[in-house]
Amino acid sequence: MNVLLVEDEVSLANEISVFLRKEQFLVDLAYTGAIASEKIAINLYDFILLDLGLPDYEGLDLLREAREAGSEAAIIILTARGDVIDKVKGLDLGADDYLAKPFSLHELHARINAVARRKFGLKSNILSFGEFTMDLLQKKVLYQTVTVELTKRQFDLLYYLIINKNRALSRMQLYEHIWGNSLDEEYDSNFIDVHIKNLRKKLSAYAPIDWLETVRGIGYRICID
Amino acid sequence: MRLRSKLAIYLLLTIGVFVVIFLLIAPWLLERVNVYQADLQLIAQREHTIEIILRHGSDALIQEYQSGRPLPVGLFKQEFFQLERIQTDSLWNFIEIESHYIDGEWIDYRMLNYAFQIDEQAYSLKIGTSLEQIFQTESNLRAITLILLVLFIVGLYLINTALSRIITMPLEKITNKLKDCNSPQLYDHTPVKTTTTDFVYLDQSLSDLMRKVDELLAKEREVTANISHELLTPVSVVQSKLENIINDNEISHPIAIKVTESLKTLNRLKVIINSLMLIARVENNQFLKTDSFWIGELLEELIDEVSPIADENAIKIVFQCSDNYFYENANRALIYTLLFNIINNAVKHSGNGVGNKIEIKCAKISDNYSITISDNGPGMTPEQASEIFKRFKRKGTQHGHGLGLAIANSIAEFHNMQIQLDTQLGNGSSFTIVFPKIG
Repeated sequence: MNVLLVEDEVSLANEISVFLRKEQFLVDLAYTGAIASEKIAINLYDFILLDLGLPDYEGLDLLREAREAGSEAAIIILTARGDVIDKVKGLDLGADDYLAKPFSLHELHARINAVARRKFGLKSNILSFGEFTMDLLQKKVLYQTVTVELTKRQFDLLYYLIINKNRALSRMQLYEHIWGNSLDEEYDSNFIDVHIKNLRKKLSAYAPIDWLETVRGIGYRICID
Repeated sequence: MRLRSKLAIYLLLTIGVFVVIFLLIAPWLLERVNVYQADLQLIAQREHTIEIILRHGSDALIQEYQSGRPLPVGLFKQEFFQLERIQTDSLWNFIEIESHYIDGEWIDYRMLNYAFQIDEQAYSLKIGTSLEQIFQTESNLRAITLILLVLFIVGLYLINTALSRIITMPLEKITNKLKDCNSPQLYDHTPVKTTTTDFVYLDQSLSDLMRKVDELLAKEREVTANISHELLTPVSVVQSKLENIINDNEISHPIAIKVTESLKTLNRLKVIINSLMLIARVENNQFLKTDSFWIGELLEELIDEVSPIADENAIKIVFQCSDNYFYENANRALIYTLLFNIINNAVKHSGNGVGNKIEIKCAKISDNYSITISDNGPGMTPEQASEIFKRFKRKGTQHGHGLGLAIANSIAEFHNMQIQLDTQLGNGSSFTIVFPKIG
């Protein structure tokens, strides 16, 4: 999929595009609103990641422009301004999602996937790991044919670990994915551990789950092919 | 009390005072007027009698009316007429009350006594009206006066109330505009129709004031957003750079650990910035209060959220909601944060022993709804209790940035709520959130 990244902070823009390219996205960069405006007019994008804090353009104006030009791109607003009104206005004007900076790159990835699934329909809505399957539409986890009873939080945690499979995620990153921009950072150590413990208990009632590993000093990882 | 009610009450009181004065004076006045009228009538009759005597002589009158015999008119012996020829040296003319025994009963008369001389003959004339008759007239007058008075009062009150309602209507419209407005942004600027210059001025001034406040708040919002942007953008850059380093599978585990620790520290900075920004925005009225929701439901959500970690620390959560409350015109997300921070605080302070519990109670006491969250942890000293809502206050080696309760405090103020803290060292702590008066 191709993504237009509109971000005036150059080093940040570079880091995000490095990450996205690793995830097999085609990334176009625009450091100013003027350039972004041009690119939107000329090219067709699947995704537009739009920073609202542009120096030369009102980000929301770009959003309006894109929609008025008939762009069907999925637009995710990124901003460090934290203004609640921006969020409301943005979603009203047709943005698909809103992500407050600073965000984890994994979180960005998860959001892009979620929007893609909603808007374009991802190829498969079933993920499998071991003998378990995860139905993303019904938000259920099944062992063979039996439904595993998971709480919403446990489901979200498991999902995040799976889509970032073979990658160690820190407790902080997991916490941020589930609870959004946290205001309490001391939960990152114990809170997640408790949820993972319960998750393990529930899953291991059906089959051994040594593919859900604790990575010392960092966090957790799911290791599967 | 409302202006209209006050006007009505003052009107009633004024009427009342006048009515009382009237009722005190009227009877006396009526009596005097009545008697005066009766006397005037007697005098008129006297003149009439004199006229008849002058014209036709007195014989007819004397013949017709023997002394003491009252006029046949007046079935109830209400009138008295007596004309006599007398011998006298002096003349008199006065009116007084006399009693006469007539047909078996004593009757009191207001009697005009007149001695006069015509053609060298002296006469004594008595003309009287029975007191009963006078009183009868008086009580008729009194009844009519009373009825008129009542009608007058009722009429006056109704008309006045209607008029004062019409006149104060614009004021009520203006007050309603203020009541309906949840934030200066949402103020209704359409002018209220009225010809009263005072109200026009009031309406206009309020409108201008709201606009000015809105502008100032917009400027504040801009400033806060800029500060937020400037502080968080570098944090964002560093976070992304560090995450990309970890994602590179080539790096060694020890380095990955170090980078993760750096990310944690960075995250702490982010959380502090976001928390301070939240407090600034709440205090700048940047949030709308347009949500309405059930408190019971919200608390259940929160307890759900906190249960896993409470269970992990063997802390029992007891939830008692004797009165549910539909909270209107609030900000649900902020209230959630407020309650979460206090419950979170209770969980942190409940320790890790057997029998530790947190009680969450909600109840309505007279006009106020309140939620009480209590733990049976170590409690606080009075000094600690007085400092706890200040920013960055922490107890000892406790985790966290110490802004949780400061945030709760500013959210409570924003919603006109009160947070009361009841705590004793060794006896746990109890936070009570008191909602603003209902209605």
